[in-house]
Amino acid sequence: MTMPFRLNRCRIATWSGLTLLLLSVVGCAPPPGTHYRLDTLSPRSALTQRFYDIFVEVTVIDIIVLIIVVAIFVLALMVFSTRTGEPTEFSWRTDVFLETAWIVIPMILVIAIAIPTVKTIIETQPYTWSPDTLEVRVIAHQWWWEFRYPSTGVVTADEVHIPVNRQINFAMVSRDVIHSFFMPALGGKRDVVPGQENHITLTANTPGEYWGQCTEFCGDSHANMRFRVFVDTPEQFDAWTKHQLSAPVHPTEGLAAEGAKIFADAPCAVCHTVRGISGLSPQYTYGFRGPDLTHFGSRGTIAGAIMDNTPENLALWIHNPDAVKPGANMPTLGLSGHDLNALVAYLESLK
Amino acid sequence: MAAQPRPIHAEQTSYLEGGGIYGWLTTIDHKRIAVLYGVTAVFFMALGGFEAMAVRTQLMYPNNHFLSAQTYNQFFTTHGLTMIFLVIMPLETGFFGNFLIPLQIGARDVAFPRLNALSYWIFLFGAITLNLGWLYGGLPNGGWFGYANLTERYYSPGPNIDFFDLGLLVLGVSSVMSALNFFVTIINMRAPGMTFFRMPLFIWSILVTVILILLAFPSLTVGLIFLFMDRYFDTHYYRVIAGATPILWQHLFWIFGHPEVYIMILPAFGLISEVIPVFSGKPLFGYPMMVYAIIAIAFLSYGVWGHHMFATGMGPVADMTFSVTSLLIAIPTGIKIFNWLFTVWGGRLRFTTAYLFALAFVIQFTIGGLSGMMHASPPIDLEQTDSYIIVAHFHYVLGLGALFAILAGFYFYWPKVTGRMLSETLGKWHFWLAVWSFNATFFPMHFLGELGMPRRIYTYAPHMGWDFWNKWETWNAYIIALSFIPLLLNIYWSLTNGERATEDPWDARTLEWSVPTPPPIYNFAEVPTVTARDAFWVAKYGSVEASGLTQSAPAIAPALVDVSKIHIPAPSLYPLLMGLGIFGMALGMLIGWYRVIFTAMALLVFSAIAMAFEYPNWGEENPHAVAESFLGLDSRKVGMWSFIGSETVFFACLISTYMVYKSRSLGVYDAGILNIPLTSFSTFVLLTSSLLMVLALAAFQRDDHKWGTIWLIGTALFGCIFLGGQVYEFGDFWLEHGMVFNANLFSQCFYTLVGFHGFHVFIGVVWLLVMAFAGIFGKLNAKRSLAVEICGLYWHFVDIVWVVIFVLVYLMRTVKGA
Repeated sequence: MTMPFRLNRCRIATWSGLTLLLLSVVGCAPPPGTHYRLDTLSPRSALTQRFYDIFVEVTVIDIIVLIIVVAIFVLALMVFSTRTGEPTEFSWRTDVFLETAWIVIPMILVIAIAIPTVKTIIETQPYTWSPDTLEVRVIAHQWWWEFRYPSTGVVTADEVHIPVNRQINFAMVSRDVIHSFFMPALGGKRDVVPGQENHITLTANTPGEYWGQCTEFCGDSHANMRFRVFVDTPEQFDAWTKHQLSAPVHPTEGLAAEGAKIFADAPCAVCHTVRGISGLSPQYTYGFRGPDLTHFGSRGTIAGAIMDNTPENLALWIHNPDAVKPGANMPTLGLSGHDLNALVAYLESLK
Repeated sequence: MAAQPRPIHAEQTSYLEGGGIYGWLTTIDHKRIAVLYGVTAVFFMALGGFEAMAVRTQLMYPNNHFLSAQTYNQFFTTHGLTMIFLVIMPLETGFFGNFLIPLQIGARDVAFPRLNALSYWIFLFGAITLNLGWLYGGLPNGGWFGYANLTERYYSPGPNIDFFDLGLLVLGVSSVMSALNFFVTIINMRAPGMTFFRMPLFIWSILVTVILILLAFPSLTVGLIFLFMDRYFDTHYYRVIAGATPILWQHLFWIFGHPEVYIMILPAFGLISEVIPVFSGKPLFGYPMMVYAIIAIAFLSYGVWGHHMFATGMGPVADMTFSVTSLLIAIPTGIKIFNWLFTVWGGRLRFTTAYLFALAFVIQFTIGGLSGMMHASPPIDLEQTDSYIIVAHFHYVLGLGALFAILAGFYFYWPKVTGRMLSETLGKWHFWLAVWSFNATFFPMHFLGELGMPRRIYTYAPHMGWDFWNKWETWNAYIIALSFIPLLLNIYWSLTNGERATEDPWDARTLEWSVPTPPPIYNFAEVPTVTARDAFWVAKYGSVEASGLTQSAPAIAPALVDVSKIHIPAPSLYPLLMGLGIFGMALGMLIGWYRVIFTAMALLVFSAIAMAFEYPNWGEENPHAVAESFLGLDSRKVGMWSFIGSETVFFACLISTYMVYKSRSLGVYDAGILNIPLTSFSTFVLLTSSLLMVLALAAFQRDDHKWGTIWLIGTALFGCIFLGGQVYEFGDFWLEHGMVFNANLFSQCFYTLVGFHGFHVFIGVVWLLVMAFAGIFGKLNAKRSLAVEICGLYWHFVDIVWVVIFVLVYLMRTVKGA
């Protein structure tokens, strides 16, 4: 078997140009070390570290395979092809050795991926919880997140605090449709399914603020269903818990006091709880429930963590929820002017 | 007319000529139907492309307000549905499949030409149903996989999801019909000598694809029927409050959905395997391995549906199983990639546009496949699923994969379809623009996915690291749209000024290039005899390995055949009318106007009966055709067998749902209500009817039409007794026990399963009675015993299903607390 050998300058130029282009595109990949709110390449828990390690392994395998394939491709096109007008010197139809090779080599790669995969699955599922594990109940709603701490009774929305270096069990259910709880740095994602309790068990290893978002399409405002996870030191976490358990502020005079009256009179109190002031069973609200507002003023974001918690944004939101978050279940109450300002002042005072 | 043999070319008229518009509406010629599919799909491609451009424009900037959330959700959903069901599938199986199958296997048409036309019209009306939202109420908006329970009436009150549900049901009917047709054609109608291992790779890929369609679509149909019942009849198939789980939809959907992925990519493999050897001047490398790889991929594709559901919490065992089966697909896929590369290796390459698209496919599909290996590993998938890296993955597989293969096939087969050459210059402009723009648009989506951008979001915040790439992708997406301008110019130029194509413009290898261009309506004046793989190449150059530079065998001598003797089935308007009937039924359901439904049903039944009268020789076996067929079986019998195969999956899905849901059922009704003595009696009656059916067939086969008719009437009578028992049973449950249809999970699953079976028995009884009438009027005899045999196959199948239902539902009932 003789190999016809030929190099054509024009083709070399074309293919090296294309290869350079490909490399430059790959080179545009996010440089290591950068950290963005939702990036999946900055693991901050043992769990996501394991995910990341397998990701790196498979990426390396993928790149090697791609290089081999592209190399054969380029060689076949540039070098080992017969000149037009010449007869093909060999009409190679089959080769037992080669064909065995490309059955066996992918098989080895598959095993190389399967072993750490299976190992990780076995070691991360099913979960083992110790008495020290902190359970956080995640309740998904269209389109916001409710967090409950059964051990302390804290209820909050869109912002969850967890202590560092302690095992956390996120126990997740949905009130309506299927959502997905995605916090890339800490726990990857897990669907939140109505009628089925799913779990993410993790131990965060670095204090800080992390972002998350719903990743299963859940209706009009699927894009507007974000949340934040605060990994606190144990002291910060205890302080935060204590604050959350404290009674809400009761403004007695000024704009905020007027706002408190509006809150109680307007339909707000039907869906929203402010401990000691309102809090009806969801059966009176056709199944809808709004976030617990007892310590609303202490949160950094509103409306599914899509806006900063500023009086202007809050006014915008209450004035016309549907404009901020299409399809929102919160009704437009027609509040404006003085009443709106008073309500905003009251809510912002609920530190 | 004196049968004076003449050269074939004297009599040749192209399939494109004559007939006018009415000719196209009533055509049953596979090549014309292929063109109808092609034109329809190109129209929907423009529509789907427009939706994609709107979606990309919305994503250009963070917090953009180009589209509302609702419009965005409708557009991305419809973009997916359109590209999958109305572009890639109809182009690959509808256009290329229809056009090429008979030509490549040396047949005059498909096995059932009228059924073929019917498939097209149902497809067209299904496509219209899916897109009715443009006119009224809004397009489907639940994502292409329409996850329950978001699709329930409570969460999606508008008609959007109804368009999705009914549109896909209608399209499913069309797909299964054409799959059945192609299956029988490939199995039974190959030219003499065309053994399985001499079939072109494209035929192999279509054969495996249609088997996937036959066995996968019923699962989707069942899921859609449940959704339909939930939305229209207030059942609880996906409602948590009744004990059901929305995850059921995901299982039913993905048992269909993953084979569907291969339904879209296997024909692409086939096209690539046709184009690459021709322009490499070499036979396909490792042909047997390529065939085994296709079969292996298809086989594995049924065991991997769970990899779409790693995040749903299926548990470690399911995660591991689906992960390993999914990874295994890498092996046959790798075989295909390397075999293509080594087909190129050492070849005499001709860089035509078709070849360039095929070569680009190989590399781009590799990229898509490699990112697929990532998601097959659940630990990685838990970070990546539902993010833009998935969008990148399936656009590399389907956009830069299947679509590039379609374009390669388009440039390759255009001369054969239209008789005109395309401009290579414009073609190369198209190619380079497409390669640049598709890669530039979709490759950075890998980065976006790594940066955590979820798919299906209509807006996003700034400073997430996504701003630059989104803007970049949108600009490049506009270049994708521009890249089709050279193609359109090329088509226009070719149709007006293009050079006339010869029979074999590419010096190709397979039989479709041996017929005149464009092919005459009868395809082959004389059905060829095949002696080797790459039959046309061998006919031209003597052997498969021949270099192709010197003709070692004489060119095919023009055969002397009187083409006027070739039987061409007459055109028929009834496929179109039947399609209209099905469309009317869907439309009536959508507007809730029952008069429309019944009128449409009447039209459907009328056209079906009228079409039946178009067959003067019904039920007669054509001994010549049977002798030529590969199985030695009549095509109609093979068709019934494949229909039964498809129905098996349908009932398997219904029975599994019943088994799963009966233990989740809440409320007072459970399997304890079932009346076993009564049902044992009716089971006995139904089984006995099978015996009578056997006697009827035996009687007709020995031409005893009196006893044959008596046994047929007996079979129908026993079927009626069974149905009577069922009516009594249902009435007893409903009126005495108050178990209404949607009382709880048990009742709805029971009524649905047993009711669908009863409906099949009812159809069987009607069929038997028609047969019996034919017997009474002396129209049945030994020659037509085939008609009785096919009816019998159906009847026995229905009985066997009942045995399974009787055992699993009645005898193995487990009563709570008992």
